[in-house]
Amino acid sequence: MKFIVSSTYLLKQLQILGGVINNSNTLPILDNFLFDLNKAKLTVSASDLETTMSSVLKVDSESEGTIAVPARLLLDILKTFPEQPLTFVVEDNHTVEISSNSGKYALAYAEGAEFPKAVELADPSSTTLMGDILATAIDKTIFASGNDDLRPVMSGVFFQFSTENLTFVATDAHKLVKYRRDDVSASEVAEFIMPKKPLNLLKGILGGSESDVLIEYNDSNAKFSFEETVLICRLIDGKYPNYEAVIPKENPNKLSISRNQFLSSVRRVAIFSNKTTHQIRLKIAGTELNISAEDIDYSNKAEERLTCAYQGDDMQIGFNSRFLTEMLNNLNSEEVTLEMSLPNRAGILTPADGLDEGENVTMLVMPVMLNG
Amino acid sequence: MDKTILHIDLDTFYVSVERLINRELQNRPLLVGGTGDRGVVAACSYETRGFGVHSGMPMKMARELCPEAVVIRGNAGTYSKHSDVVTEIIKEQVPLFEKSSIDEFYADLTGMDRFFGAYKYAAEMRQRIVKETGLPISFGLSVNKVVSKVATNEAKPNNHLKIDQGFEKLFLAPLSIKKIPMVGDKTYQTLRNLGLRQVKNVQEMPVDVMQRVLGANGKVIWKRSNGIDNTPVIPFCERKSISTERTFDRDTIDVVKLRGILIAMTENLAYQLRRGEKLTACVSVKIRYSDFNTYSKQLRIPYTSADHILIPKILDMFKTLYNRRLLVRLVGIRFSHLVSGNYQINLFDDTEETLNLYHAMDTIRKRYGDKSVLRASGLGAKTIGRMQNPFNGLPPVVLAHRRQ
Repeated sequence: MKFIVSSTYLLKQLQILGGVINNSNTLPILDNFLFDLNKAKLTVSASDLETTMSSVLKVDSESEGTIAVPARLLLDILKTFPEQPLTFVVEDNHTVEISSNSGKYALAYAEGAEFPKAVELADPSSTTLMGDILATAIDKTIFASGNDDLRPVMSGVFFQFSTENLTFVATDAHKLVKYRRDDVSASEVAEFIMPKKPLNLLKGILGGSESDVLIEYNDSNAKFSFEETVLICRLIDGKYPNYEAVIPKENPNKLSISRNQFLSSVRRVAIFSNKTTHQIRLKIAGTELNISAEDIDYSNKAEERLTCAYQGDDMQIGFNSRFLTEMLNNLNSEEVTLEMSLPNRAGILTPADGLDEGENVTMLVMPVMLNG
Repeated sequence: MDKTILHIDLDTFYVSVERLINRELQNRPLLVGGTGDRGVVAACSYETRGFGVHSGMPMKMARELCPEAVVIRGNAGTYSKHSDVVTEIIKEQVPLFEKSSIDEFYADLTGMDRFFGAYKYAAEMRQRIVKETGLPISFGLSVNKVVSKVATNEAKPNNHLKIDQGFEKLFLAPLSIKKIPMVGDKTYQTLRNLGLRQVKNVQEMPVDVMQRVLGANGKVIWKRSNGIDNTPVIPFCERKSISTERTFDRDTIDVVKLRGILIAMTENLAYQLRRGEKLTACVSVKIRYSDFNTYSKQLRIPYTSADHILIPKILDMFKTLYNRRLLVRLVGIRFSHLVSGNYQINLFDDTEETLNLYHAMDTIRKRYGDKSVLRASGLGAKTIGRMQNPFNGLPPVVLAHRRQ
């Protein structure tokens, strides 16, 4: 087995695939890239058992074969090369020899057959959407997903496809983001929960990409194919909580404010809040928004006043400032609207402008129970 | 700079308060404490001490030793009130003070000598407290907390003592090692086995020998014996945990009753958290079987102060902890890792009805007292819990025999 490939081209592909590989693996074979050579087509795969990603590379070769090459070692050496052709030759003594302009390097390889096979999707449904749309949808939602091992469904992003629109939802039970695209739709109704890791990989690869992504899915797995790359992952099993039911319908108190102003005030005030609970208090009366925080243990205290447009009753509500800053940061509008009803009901944050055609973002944040 | 530290201690505080309420108890042997079978003596008058009674002793034994004594159950609320009156006077008179328990105070009088004469000033304050409250009080004055405390104990009852600067070692030398705060029964035995009886002996010991025998504590005891103590007077007491426990009159195996008590305890402590705007991240359950084997279990949880999260966690822990099919003598719970904050509402688990219910219940409790509304399952344990806000910056009300 022998092939010739450009060093930077190979490195670029391997760095993307390397994101799949865990730092510590229970199965040593998972520390490798699988090289599957078929004449001029080299398929490289990486896997952590849950997620498998592979890319097809064009190489110069006449031979065939599969080997598993240590990922860390290969990436480290490739990073040092300037652009040049590299020749990979598999020797008889279980090593693969790389020849560059400057010398020769040998690494031990494992049998390709040991590498776990990627699952084949039985009887999948499919949808196509533009790479950048998917990347944006992930970017808008993934920060709101949870980390609780006891509630695995909340550690992912909920994909809800219908013939009218696509909806992406993430929540950790304290905050929730719902991102809807009305300009794209699926051929049939489907719902599944994607784990965070493959989504972060997709977000990284697809940001700004204009190419189409084919999403195929069944009850247990999903497959994302684009350009020369395929990502197959296991879905999170379980029923996603009924998020529609918790979005309050009637919110008579409506606050409109400049996002940047609001964000920087919350950030400043939050510095003075309790270091564990990050609790801040919003007091709204007339057209004045008063943001305050206090850390009793250290006698730290802050208060800011902002002018805002407000319709509704005067009210006082407590929030975890972390949630507010995360959400305000994730939006990119000039103005935001915060709709509220009671101090113990969710606040709904929506951007007032800056959305693309067909884009729809709703963010929910649960308050803390203030005394009195 | 040398300091001037004053230690003030109300003599047989509970007894004095009871005598104040009921004049007839004057000069009669008096015991305050639990009156049940498992009750212990919380305070005893000087008359009973001749019979060998001391605080912390089982009430049954105390009664046998001194049958003519009057036994009173005692009421922590009354004592707190009287203690507060004394606190007010001290607060008015001294620049910096620490209330270290219900009947003990430390005050930092450093630098006041220049203007008043600290000893004279303290003696006048003592007179004022005696006059205004009618409670006997003693104090010790020296350069640090430990020596002042020992001095107070030597001065008692109803007297005062000043240890002049430089005479700390000499003052401590002839005393029994038992007089050093921190030397309890166990340490006393260890030290006696080393042939040490008087503080003088400890003073003569090399510090590393003490350290080898008693660990880090050995060094502290050695320092204290030499009259060295640099701990400052801390005016505010930060609560690190809140807890409650119950010893039964009769050991029980009734799991329904035990669970009811745990629920009542959790409900009460969770309310204390909410009232003090605190959250807990660590809960623990303690259980003591009739053979005195004590087990406890703790669990880290996300910050919360909600009954419906805490109660199931406590009951779960009790379930795993109670596995010996033995009679139970004591159960207790503790919340620690406290931070200031309010409960973060959960989108899916909390319904508006429960939140409003909690809010209403807390409002009722605030107005009509802790026990005005409770869960029916906790009704069987009406006497559980405290009436006081534990987050008022004051030290917990600890019965005399519980502290060292």
